[in-house]
Amino acid sequence: MSEMRTNITALFENENQAAEAVRAVRGTQWPIKDVHGPIPSEAISEALEVKKSGVGWFTLAGGIIGFFTGYLLAVFTAARWGLIVGGKPVLAYIPFFIVGFEFTILFSVLGNVVGLILLARLPAYRDLQGYPPECSGSYFGVVVDCGADEQDAVHRFLTGLGGRVTVPAPGENGS
Amino acid sequence: MSRLSFAEIDNTVAGTLEPAGRLYWTVVALLFGGVAFGAACWVYQIFVGIGAGGQNNPVNWGTYLINFVFWVGIAHSGTLISAILHLVRAGWRNPIARAAETMTVFAVCTAGLFPFIHLGRVWMVYYMLPVPNQRTLWPNFQSPLIFDLVAISTYLTVSVLFWYTGLLPDLAVIRDRASGVRKKVFRALSLGWTGRYEHWRHYTRGYLLFAALATPLVISVHSVVSWDFALGIMPGWHTTIFAPYFVAGAIHSGLAMVLTLMIPLRKIFGTEKIITMHVLESVAKTIVFTGLIMGFSYGTEAFIAWYSQNSVEMAVFTYRAFGDFALSYWVMIVCNSLVPLLFFLKRFRTRIGWLFAISILINIGMWYERFVIIISSPSHGFLPHNWGHYMPTFIEYGIMLGSFSLFFFLFFLFVKHLPSISMTEMKELVHQESAHE
Repeated sequence: MSEMRTNITALFENENQAAEAVRAVRGTQWPIKDVHGPIPSEAISEALEVKKSGVGWFTLAGGIIGFFTGYLLAVFTAARWGLIVGGKPVLAYIPFFIVGFEFTILFSVLGNVVGLILLARLPAYRDLQGYPPECSGSYFGVVVDCGADEQDAVHRFLTGLGGRVTVPAPGENGS
Repeated sequence: MSRLSFAEIDNTVAGTLEPAGRLYWTVVALLFGGVAFGAACWVYQIFVGIGAGGQNNPVNWGTYLINFVFWVGIAHSGTLISAILHLVRAGWRNPIARAAETMTVFAVCTAGLFPFIHLGRVWMVYYMLPVPNQRTLWPNFQSPLIFDLVAISTYLTVSVLFWYTGLLPDLAVIRDRASGVRKKVFRALSLGWTGRYEHWRHYTRGYLLFAALATPLVISVHSVVSWDFALGIMPGWHTTIFAPYFVAGAIHSGLAMVLTLMIPLRKIFGTEKIITMHVLESVAKTIVFTGLIMGFSYGTEAFIAWYSQNSVEMAVFTYRAFGDFALSYWVMIVCNSLVPLLFFLKRFRTRIGWLFAISILINIGMWYERFVIIISSPSHGFLPHNWGHYMPTFIEYGIMLGSFSLFFFLFFLFVKHLPSISMTEMKELVHQESAHE
């Protein structure tokens, strides 16, 4: 029979408190399930020791694909109608860079969005279950995963760190 | 601004989304009437033919192209404020970034209608798409008009995605305060955003890259628009200054439109604590800078025409200043390069009345700039027997009214239904300021 688990959330009024709490919890046996906040926080990222986002790789891939798509589209379409006009070459290599540039930006941005969606796992409607709504407004929330029998201990620990602890309703986020 | 708390920011912005009164809906109805009138004029033109407009030889590009360039220009300051000023960490941009981005999206949408309107046979629009026709003839990618199509489509796509990405955290704030159907709508729109560190980690990176990509894009788009003219061999158009001149003009007009929209907005919604006088003053200072570039560009154009001693160029510039459209030319000079200089004086850039009045004058001046460029050159080209006049028709005025109504109609709907001030960026600003205290 699997152990009953639950999530305890502590709300903090500022990021430094939340970052301190993250460091403190990381020193215990209880894993941090999540940290929520109304703004991005450098201090919390440092406390969590998270790596730099990989969105840029999607953006780069999009840009490379975009440039060749745009440039080669222009070359291909010009070559399909090889009529010399005004004695000028059919393939205008320099102006085609403009098309290549615009496609580079377009595909880079599309890559950026795809990267953001995939890496941030959006849409994430399921995450809303048990999510502390105060965290979109003013508070930073540190969500700690613990066994049901450890709930009181975690509660005391987080309160001791200055957090306002919210206890999940029965069956709300336990697993 | 540092005295604001996160809760106060949320309350102020959420307050703008409270159910609107009768006056608001009356204004919306009037604007919708304007849109309907413009649409009716367009439908009339579709049935009667493009001749319903005043465009004819030699002036084949009239108000449709003037309005196209005008609205693309208006769109530019949104990206300037949201992207370029984001990259240089100008804090004063935060309160107005969302409204400016929204302005960009709606202005590009409005601008994007004009090529369709100007087509006449609008059902032939697929000729612009990169698909071959029955003779395997593709669009000509050497043409600046196709560059323009690609650039504007890219700009619209990027602006919409940038705008929506920036909205996500704010949509979540509204979702968490809403109830009933509204909550469901915002729940769907916010894509389940919970402000998890994983969300922020990728969001901040993605947003920075958005800004980094939008910056060269915004410069390229209006450069490409300028090449619609500059790559044509027409006196007054065929000049290398056009790209920077158009980009500066676009930012100039866009900043003026930001003031035109923000000043009533902050008064109506009581957001003076967020959109402070410092913010408006910073916009005014930037307008001084762009106004100086405009003045320099006007001077350079005229000087080069004289310095070249090219008789055709000189004739066109003399015609601009003293010919049939001289009034438009001087309105352009005064409103775009002289009036903004008033912002050198603190009393003009710190008084709401002056800020608003000067912003309107710059908008008028920038519209006339496009009029002068687009009309005066073809009407006074190389061959005297091909000179001609141009007057917009009633249908063109109707469509122009429709375009202005459409822009303000969309913006009015936006400010009452979505957060018009970025709560997240305001909180970041407050947070940074409090960290430095």
